Amino acid sequence: MTDRAPSSDIRKAIETRLARRHRAERRFQFYGMAAIALAVLFLVVLLSSIIVQALPAFTQHTLTLPVRVEAELADPQDDRSEESLRAGSYSRMLQVALQDQFPSVTGRSELRALFGLYSSVNSAKLLNQVVENPDIIGETIEFSMPISDDADLYLKGLTTDERFVDRNEPLTLSGAEGEVTLTASDPVFSAFIEEVNDTLRARIQTVSDRAATAQARADRAETEDARQAAAAGAERARREADQLEERLQAREALSLSPEMASLLVRLGGGVVQITQLEPGGRVARGEVVIAPERDGVYQDWTEWRIETPAAGRRIGDVQIVFARALDDRGLVENGLNLILFTNADSREPELAGVRGALIGSVLTMIITMLMAVPIGVGTAIYLEEFAPRNRLSEIIEVNINNLAAVPSIVFGLLGLAVFINTFGMPRSAPLVGGFVLALMTLPTVIISSRAALKAVPPSIREAALGVGASRMQAVFGHVLPMAMPGILTGSIIGLAQALGETAPLLMIGMVAFIADPPTMGVAGFTEPATVMPVQIFLWSSGAERAFEAKTAAAILILLALMVLFNAAAIYLRSRFERRW
Amino acid sequence: MQISLFTVLILMVLTAVGFLVGRRRAYAVSSGHASRLHSLPSYYGYYIALWTGVPAFILLAIYGMFGNDAVNALAGAQMHRAGEPVHAQFEQALSDDEDIARLEAELATLENRRIYAREAIERDSELVPAAGEYPAQSPAERQQALSSEINRLAAEREARAEVLAGQVEAQTDDALARAGFVYSRLSDERRELMINDARAIAFGEGVASRETPEINALASAMRPFHEVLRSSMALAALALAIGGLAYARSRISSSFRARNRVEGAISVLLLLASVIAIATTIGIVLSLLFESVRFFSAINWRIDEFLLGTQWSPQIAIREGQVGQTGAFGAVPLFAGTALITVIAMLVAVPVGLFAAIYLSEYASTGVRGWAKPVLEILAGIPTVVYGFFALLTVGPLLRDALLLLGYENAVTQSALAAGLVMGVMIIPFVSSLADDVINAVPQSLRDGAYAMGATKSETVRQVIFPAALPGIVGAVLLAVSRAVGETMIVVMAAGQGANLTANPLESVTTITVQIVMLLTGDQEFDSPKTLSAFALGLVLFVLTLILNVIALRVVQRYREKYD
Repeated sequence: MTDRAPSSDIRKAIETRLARRHRAERRFQFYGMAAIALAVLFLVVLLSSIIVQALPAFTQHTLTLPVRVEAELADPQDDRSEESLRAGSYSRMLQVALQDQFPSVTGRSELRALFGLYSSVNSAKLLNQVVENPDIIGETIEFSMPISDDADLYLKGLTTDERFVDRNEPLTLSGAEGEVTLTASDPVFSAFIEEVNDTLRARIQTVSDRAATAQARADRAETEDARQAAAAGAERARREADQLEERLQAREALSLSPEMASLLVRLGGGVVQITQLEPGGRVARGEVVIAPERDGVYQDWTEWRIETPAAGRRIGDVQIVFARALDDRGLVENGLNLILFTNADSREPELAGVRGALIGSVLTMIITMLMAVPIGVGTAIYLEEFAPRNRLSEIIEVNINNLAAVPSIVFGLLGLAVFINTFGMPRSAPLVGGFVLALMTLPTVIISSRAALKAVPPSIREAALGVGASRMQAVFGHVLPMAMPGILTGSIIGLAQALGETAPLLMIGMVAFIADPPTMGVAGFTEPATVMPVQIFLWSSGAERAFEAKTAAAILILLALMVLFNAAAIYLRSRFERRW
Repeated sequence: MQISLFTVLILMVLTAVGFLVGRRRAYAVSSGHASRLHSLPSYYGYYIALWTGVPAFILLAIYGMFGNDAVNALAGAQMHRAGEPVHAQFEQALSDDEDIARLEAELATLENRRIYAREAIERDSELVPAAGEYPAQSPAERQQALSSEINRLAAEREARAEVLAGQVEAQTDDALARAGFVYSRLSDERRELMINDARAIAFGEGVASRETPEINALASAMRPFHEVLRSSMALAALALAIGGLAYARSRISSSFRARNRVEGAISVLLLLASVIAIATTIGIVLSLLFESVRFFSAINWRIDEFLLGTQWSPQIAIREGQVGQTGAFGAVPLFAGTALITVIAMLVAVPVGLFAAIYLSEYASTGVRGWAKPVLEILAGIPTVVYGFFALLTVGPLLRDALLLLGYENAVTQSALAAGLVMGVMIIPFVSSLADDVINAVPQSLRDGAYAMGATKSETVRQVIFPAALPGIVGAVLLAVSRAVGETMIVVMAAGQGANLTANPLESVTTITVQIVMLLTGDQEFDSPKTLSAFALGLVLFVLTLILNVIALRVVQRYREKYD
């Protein structure tokens, strides 16, 4: 007893150790919670970023113009025949209608900006209207078309920061068209000049920073080549900084360039684009974009600053002026974007929709379902109920397990080599896509069907066999109906996977740009088509900014479809599943 | 559609009629007492329906598969016969023409000289200069000079032959004969194109690339064959169906074992269904192997160059027309890129997935499990193209901006890091559900033993459950690696396309799957080594994932047996 340490010491040691162990326990538990939290966070960020990106695509600005369907433009042969009507110049008609809105606009580049507000594809829509109803020739109709994607994004306020400031210092306008001078007694433009100079100063700062970094790199450089390259970079940056500094210090007129914010002046119903500002901020020179009602002194006018430099946006100042003016006149309306659902793919973002891809997906899924479900269920029944324990069954089983883990792109290679090159099936067709996806989905269907069959208790089979049913009758009359909910659930989940699959379809040429949706019918199976996930892939690489929102919107539609599929599976499971 | 929908419909109706006839017949032979029959009456119906439908549909399927080829072959033969006299005329013109004879003679001498020059090179000695024409040249130079001369003369002869062919064609009035003549002088691919164009014109299959009187003639030669074959096939199918119906009906008697026959047919069907899985695997292996062999023979069997070369630029090999330009198909940058992205993905997925699984199976309350598991399932169900979009437009730019802010100047949007991170997120649910399974498979008695010794939960997990579940977890990680290696869309969209050999995760890299997609999308000719190399890459990918899966399944199985 005497050589033992006092119990209080042991107790203390144990208590400290216990505290440490409990801390470790809490830490461990925290890691687990952090892992779950991380997964949830990823999901939330993923979904919310896509929703935020998709929102602009669900609305669209539509331009509605009174269009006069001139007889000589619509019907060049003047006989009202369809041939003659189809030869008509409908884009000219639209141009005239738009020009009528801005009678003062005559300059070539201004007109180009104006006609850039819609895509010329729309004239085909007008043509169809006239061909369908030749009576409207000679009349004025209200014609609606989606405004161009750049103008649409501008009107949604997504690409361009701008500010309107109402001013009431008197301002004298030297003329009502062409190049004009604006003069004020107060320094009305000095705030804008200061703003531009601020940006200039910031630029100088960045450039000098860059020069400093390059210089540092040159000093550190190990090889002569690298040193020279870095030094040259530093020199270039320094020179640029000096030039900018000079421009800032010079007390001469400030010419507005595309790298700077733009300044426009609204007065008397017209708009003047400022090109040059005199130091002091009292005199500005500019060009009339939309003619004001008169020249002379204006008491109330609006300073319109477009903060995003023209070089940083796809829409020019002049086009902005026209888009804004049409919007102010109530000719542009922001509404639900139905085109997204009713049109097939298009090179013009404002005219592109998912209809073609949706039909393609439906056709492909029909083939996949018709192939994968019967074959998969048949295999499952064979392996689970009839297969003798021999080599063949074993090979089939190992095979299915391995197939389940083969990368999907390999199935695409199979489809390309076998279905297209050997059997000569058409490229890009839902038929081949459905075959490939069916082979890919097969293991999923087989595995879940086998699980469902296995879950049916042997007593059911034994009872059936006991009253004299054959094995086939026992399986098809009793086991299969009871396993059906499980089989359907597994099949639907497999189909949902196939619905979201992209890679194998790229291999068999379903990436082609397809402007006409395939026909909903037997013929559609062999026509070129694309499917939703591939459409998403195609749009995501589209150059126009508007395709970004379209892509996100298409993703939401695809996700909604998949939620529908999975909800059906969950419903089936909860409604019919039995526990034995 | 070559099989008319109408025929199919009639066959379907006949099959249904067969069923009814069979049942009625069964009642009739049993004179109203169904209990005297061997099988239930409807089995007799199924029996007749099978005999009615199956042979006819098999015939139609065979026609559907080979009907086009048969029409092509028949029309081709007719065209060939028509073209034969023209061809003979052309041969005659060739042998009569003086220019051709002269060129042939010159070519023959040059060819002889070239053979001498080659022999000289092989013997590595100066042979007697050929008639003192190129005295100052070495044999190798001479051979080259001779080759280019031969090529020039051959081109000249070709041009002359072309002129003669044009003359012969102009003398022929019959378009089909002209078509046969033109066809006989085309290369294999051009022949295929001509046939396809003719089919397009004749049956509206797609759009013809061009339309000439010859192709139109071929098209109109095809039409009657097509019509005859089609209607005779339809008639034959109907005859088969009716014959089958009559035959089966004649066999029905009260002691006929209809059920056994029908069940036998069904079990054959079931076996066939399960053989499709094997057929798929065989199809994958064969198609990959076959095309890979073609690729390797195109690069002169330098498989080592392919597997160990560090230069990947298949485009260059195409442009230069240098089949099998060695060094252009070195796949190491792709393997390295795949490995880099896989490692990044695993660094995300394994810790997060494992901890999530441990937390869910050991700590979480039912409530937490109730919502956390569906969240993971949703992550697993999101299509990969969506992850790719997320990586490309959200994660990539975010990482680039963050790096620029930190002063890293060469930051790019498409980087291995962005693709790897997002792929890791995609694989989290995969790892966690597999790990969840293995952790749950560890017997409760082990846990209880640990708790009884006074271990805390985390100590139990770390020192008892984890070692016990380790083989299963290793298997799960291997399966996850195989998933990451085979993943396509995320890397296609977010990892870039340049074949950089780098270990820097901030640069853009390319992977095996990205290159397969790049090589096989867009304009392609199927026989170029560039396209074929995609299949070699596919073979590598297939073998790699297969090995990973086999090991993983072995590990998991062996471990499961231990506790079952």
